[in-house]
Amino acid sequence: MRFITREKIQDLLEALASEAEVWAPRELNGSGGSIMFERWRSGDPIAFEGVTTLSAKDMVLPRTEKLFGFRYTAGTGNLLAEALGQSAGQPAKEKGEHLSIDPAEPVAEKVLFGVRACDAKALDVLDSLFNRADGSGYEDPGYRSRRAGLTVITIACTSCDEACFCSSFDNGPAEKAGSDLIFYPVDTGFLVEAVTVRGEKILARDEAAKSGQLFEESMLQPPALAETARVEGTADMETLLPAIFADLDFWERSTASCISCGFCTYGCPTCHCFNIHDEMRGDREGERLRSWDACMFHIYTQEASGHNPRPTPAHRYRNRINHKFSYYPENQGQILCTGCGRCIRGCPAGLDIREVMTAALAHARGQGST
Amino acid sequence: MSTIAQAGRKATDPLRPEPATVIEVIPETPNIKTLRVAFDDPAVTEAFSFLPGQIGQLSVPGAGESTFAISSAPSQTDVFEFSVMKAGVVTSAIHELGAGDPVAIRAPLGCAFPTDEWKGRNIVLVAGGIGMAPLRSLLYHLLDNRADYGGLTLIYGARTPDDLCFASDRDDWRHRADLDFTATIDMACSIWDGCVGLVPTVLEERAPSPENSVAVTCGPPIMIRYALESLARLGFREEQVYTTLERRMKCGIGICGRCNLGPKYVCTDGPVFSLAELNGLPDEM
Repeated sequence: MRFITREKIQDLLEALASEAEVWAPRELNGSGGSIMFERWRSGDPIAFEGVTTLSAKDMVLPRTEKLFGFRYTAGTGNLLAEALGQSAGQPAKEKGEHLSIDPAEPVAEKVLFGVRACDAKALDVLDSLFNRADGSGYEDPGYRSRRAGLTVITIACTSCDEACFCSSFDNGPAEKAGSDLIFYPVDTGFLVEAVTVRGEKILARDEAAKSGQLFEESMLQPPALAETARVEGTADMETLLPAIFADLDFWERSTASCISCGFCTYGCPTCHCFNIHDEMRGDREGERLRSWDACMFHIYTQEASGHNPRPTPAHRYRNRINHKFSYYPENQGQILCTGCGRCIRGCPAGLDIREVMTAALAHARGQGST
Repeated sequence: MSTIAQAGRKATDPLRPEPATVIEVIPETPNIKTLRVAFDDPAVTEAFSFLPGQIGQLSVPGAGESTFAISSAPSQTDVFEFSVMKAGVVTSAIHELGAGDPVAIRAPLGCAFPTDEWKGRNIVLVAGGIGMAPLRSLLYHLLDNRADYGGLTLIYGARTPDDLCFASDRDDWRHRADLDFTATIDMACSIWDGCVGLVPTVLEERAPSPENSVAVTCGPPIMIRYALESLARLGFREEQVYTTLERRMKCGIGICGRCNLGPKYVCTDGPVFSLAELNGLPDEM
């Protein structure tokens, strides 16, 4: 395997930053240890340990994304409207207005350095909805262009905290899906493995450089990986969960502490539900925006009539669990959870999704005391 | 869910609407208006087609975008119609529009009624209030292809005579020999000399035969519920009954997450579902 010292990471990012925006985890000043992905500039410190408070999903699904700009200008744009309007006795307004919609804007290429395998795998999970590799499904232009311009360099986990549970799924602390390069932490540096052609090119380019090689050959052995908490039987949830859907009492009991704050969805690397809304910039132009939304909010499904098909936290949590472990696997072939643990670390009510999963599995199998 | 209609929209970005213009606004009831609209770009009009039951996203850029059934005849695509009940922010902005005002449209979306499968059968349409909008498009399609179908029955109800939409259509429907049309209102009043009674009650009185028939119902959720019970009492089996659903929607393409019934999305797998399909899905109406 190839090897890079910790000191040379700065040189590597320097080289990558000459061609793309580089984003890396950094401990925020005065945050009490919160790590976030931040735009990296030469000399910035990097947090090699720990997991970021929020995931990396906004690299491909920004918290708020401009879908397009639009503007109203004088004059009608529709000759048919004028003709038909006049014949119908409804002439176009005196000061006709014409609507135009701006073309799409290019997005910046980015390198995401130091992401964890759970967050990289989450990109692969999102790809199956927004950007299917075989082109058979829906392709989201905004997502696709951001994803195509994103290089993902993952650091495998040799330690974890009690909220981590990635080993419950096919992925684990060194999962390759979603990554271009995997860095394995060893003494003084990282062993490096290329996962994709894009990753290989980073290694090959260094080899071709005449001086200052970043990567060297190493005979070091890969490190022992973290062993996380584990929920058994997650793959069975796709077929088991529908059996207990109608038991609202169960969902009320097992999610009673939920206060519908929505942190679990904002922190989640795979939650992708969104809202679409318009904002005007003055009287004549505006933007249509796509923003993160949260299925835990009451208003998310509330209709204009006042009717709400998911009126209580239990209804909403039930949908969230079913979406992650039953509907998405059925529709997209992947579990919509990578075990990153953020919804557990960040829940202000102490609700642990692993306990709900375990209780649901036991209840569905008819073994539970619930 | 049965008929996938991908015809009619070639767009690289499904969230990007096409500019369009309001041709005419027809007041239907105190809170429902029909907007006749046309795309601004002739190439978009040229490529546009839809099938009965399909939906569209109509937006007033600046106010927002909402989902509506296309309520006009699928045979007419240069100008087509949405019938909109005023309920929230976007529909209020839509109700402010007049002829010549710009809008933006993403259409068609969703799946249509499987009218090809229904050829040769009797069709019973059961509509309440604004629920007539998608069934009006379907009715136009059936009348445009009248020879393909057997008997045609329409029961359409509203709370009061003023709440019945599509007045000029109703004149036409009443006089057609090839359509058995009953309009009904919930309670008797001085300006109404027609049928009086709730839609499910009238449906059972008219008692259309389930023999070689398909029933389609759309209306307020409570009406749909009782209409489904009435149809069952008349002997319609669940695979003979269709409805078209409404949900809060945003994207219209099955990804924003809010309109699902279990693993199915109303915006893409529906809005048209057979009762057999609905009975196989989690009850989260």
